Amino acid sequence: MEDSDNHLFKENPTIAENNRRIRRLKKESGKPVIGYLCCFAPPEMISAAGALPFRLTGIPGGDNSEADAYIEPYGCAYARNILARAVRGDYDFLDGLVISHSCDMVQRLYGIWNYYHPLPYSYLFNVPHQLTPWAQRFYKRELIFFKDSLEKFTGQEITETALRKEIDSYNHNRTLIRDLYALRRVNPPLIKGSEMLNLLLAGGVMPAEDFSFLLETTLAEIRRRHNEQTTGPRILGWGSIMDDPALYRLIEKAGGSVVADDTCIGMRLWEKNIPLPGDLYNGFLEQYFIDFQCPRTDRGPGIKRFDYLLERIDQYDIDGVVGYIISFCDPHKFDYPDLRDLLKKEGIPMLLIDDNYSFEPAEALMTRLEAFIEML
Amino acid sequence: MGNSEMARANRHLDTTRKMKEMLPRFFMRMMERRFNNEPLAWCMVGVPPELLKAFDLLFEWPENFSTICASRLIAPHFIEVAETDGYSTELCSYVTNTMGYCKLFVEKGEAPPESPLPGGMGTPSMLLGSGFICEPRWKWFQSIATRFFNVPVYSSDPLAPPWDVDPRDPRIENHYLCLLREDLAGQIKFLERETGKKLDRHHLREILILSHQALAYWRDTLSLRKNVPTPMGSTDYFHAIIPQMYLVGEQEAVDFYREMYEEVKERSAMKKGIVEDEKYRFIWFGLPPWFNMGVFNYLESFGAVFVYESTYNVGDYFEVDVSDPLEAIVRRTWQRAVWMHDYGAEAMPEICNPAVFGGFVGSSLLEELVRDFKIDGAIMNLTRSCRAISFGEVHTKNRLAKLGIPSLIFESDMADPRLWSDAQIKTRLHAFLETVEKAKQGGR
Repeated sequence: MEDSDNHLFKENPTIAENNRRIRRLKKESGKPVIGYLCCFAPPEMISAAGALPFRLTGIPGGDNSEADAYIEPYGCAYARNILARAVRGDYDFLDGLVISHSCDMVQRLYGIWNYYHPLPYSYLFNVPHQLTPWAQRFYKRELIFFKDSLEKFTGQEITETALRKEIDSYNHNRTLIRDLYALRRVNPPLIKGSEMLNLLLAGGVMPAEDFSFLLETTLAEIRRRHNEQTTGPRILGWGSIMDDPALYRLIEKAGGSVVADDTCIGMRLWEKNIPLPGDLYNGFLEQYFIDFQCPRTDRGPGIKRFDYLLERIDQYDIDGVVGYIISFCDPHKFDYPDLRDLLKKEGIPMLLIDDNYSFEPAEALMTRLEAFIEML
Repeated sequence: MGNSEMARANRHLDTTRKMKEMLPRFFMRMMERRFNNEPLAWCMVGVPPELLKAFDLLFEWPENFSTICASRLIAPHFIEVAETDGYSTELCSYVTNTMGYCKLFVEKGEAPPESPLPGGMGTPSMLLGSGFICEPRWKWFQSIATRFFNVPVYSSDPLAPPWDVDPRDPRIENHYLCLLREDLAGQIKFLERETGKKLDRHHLREILILSHQALAYWRDTLSLRKNVPTPMGSTDYFHAIIPQMYLVGEQEAVDFYREMYEEVKERSAMKKGIVEDEKYRFIWFGLPPWFNMGVFNYLESFGAVFVYESTYNVGDYFEVDVSDPLEAIVRRTWQRAVWMHDYGAEAMPEICNPAVFGGFVGSSLLEELVRDFKIDGAIMNLTRSCRAISFGEVHTKNRLAKLGIPSLIFESDMADPRLWSDAQIKTRLHAFLETVEKAKQGGR
């Protein structure tokens, strides 16, 4: 695989770069910046309200001590890191905060954050845990409340035309991302897992049009690449939020190729487009609630809830699964034994990495990854 | 840690001591019916016990079963079985205790002999879950039904409004009431299908009336703890919640809570405390260490008493119109949500509970409690395996500090005694008592 000139492929888009970019955008556009966690509240709506959506990410292994004054030490280190960064002023460009009720930790983080460091705008997007007809109706009503609150804050009506335009832009990106993922189905894959994750992370902090440009140029560049090198076993990354390519890089260094994923900044969000024309709210319901495969949503007992994952394993010709769970991430920790047993039955080896959102000690991780990949 | 460090609780009330006879009678009744192969539901706190009574359904509470396993120091055995099955030590120890139990049950084809209750929890024919309070409760019954008992599951989904919306806004109220009503209707439809019985609303209404009578006595009993010296402490409190799970809706529960109320009232009138010299009045936050309830007696030996507990607390009691019993359950849930919201639900919004228990970190409720219950300090159990309940303890500590009330957070668990460090915790408790003493002498 050839090296790229695209700096995103060589290094992480640093937090400082992201912050500089969003500050510049904010200044140039005069638009407020609304940070968001998790994917149940459509960012299209934030954009259609005339604001800049900014996906909040943390710094693995970062200092969380500032959070200790407000929340308990036992808890997801990712969420604690987000709060520590907020307390430190790392998000001083934010005008608003949207947190979806995805897991207990972020739901409660919302209240504590707003209690101690309130922002001009905040919204907790409440999400039922089941997919019953009444849960779906609740989600759709929640969309309306979310729309109303955004309009009230920005003073800009979210018209159907504006919403369609945003969905169209996001759909375009979804298509491009699927095109990029398709290049990972070939063997060896044309784009590394760490590169793909870097792209997706970059997309979370820039307007959809800018992301389109980035994706298009990247796609063109990748298509020019030549598959000259052989590659190692094909890996699927499963588990908690992955907002840093460190683990994928370790896997690549250990000789594996991360060609697919099942984490929340990954394929989950891009698998299909929101139908246009169509009922936009039904589209959001399906995209961000029904089809969004976060284990926090109860899809009933039994292993059928993992069918989508088996399909992906088949589509991407996966040799092994590397699970990554951040400490105290209950939804994934609950799913692990069932998934492990299912994969074993299917003949797919799995390695679980339980981590405190630090990817450390890297040497120990590397040893485990090398042993796993060698076994594959 | 050795088991010798764990002490069982001594209770102070005659009424709670009588439960030794009352509860076995109930369990025997249930056992006889189990032998007749009647449907058995495993339920989570959050499922209205009145509904179970209305369907005359046999039921078990795995959470309560886990507290019993913890108090008999059997929980570590079950928890370790679950851990070898791949369940993390970080997961709720009520859950891992149950998962270990289930694994042994399925392997042996019957309740493991080490079960604390005769016959343990029987084979479930259905699982009735509730997402109230935390997400492990969603995943728990999903896992049980996936791995051990392939039976129908219904999990209710009582969401509560975030702390910064106005629950009195008719649109918001309707938004949540719709969900609560439809969810309850779904639960009833499920129960009708699984039991083959139609819900008798008249019967449910009668049960609710009895249930609310019992709860009103309970509320009034707890209010008497404002008295100095307090006539009732935590060892009685945490024991006396059990009839709310098993007997609520029955005359026996009304009689029990009335008797308790009368006893506590009499003790109040006689100024009969639970210790000779009541020096410090505390609030307890978090789940108790069920494996070492004697720690409350230990603190009592230094004149420290608990007059309020944040968990399993029924909170204020709501007069609801029971003419439509289903709407009464919905309204009861909603009123509790609004009540908690009014007191500040920034750290724990998920208190929306269609049953009778709750937790609170209502920050402005603290001011009332400190004033009305004459609080000197607070002790908080930071339960490693239950972050849902212990979340907000740091915030509560901050809020109490503003009121000049010292507090201590120590780390342990509710069911897993392996997380109890006796010497360390007692050292911290002693240091805290000194802090409180100094604060009292300093007049705060």
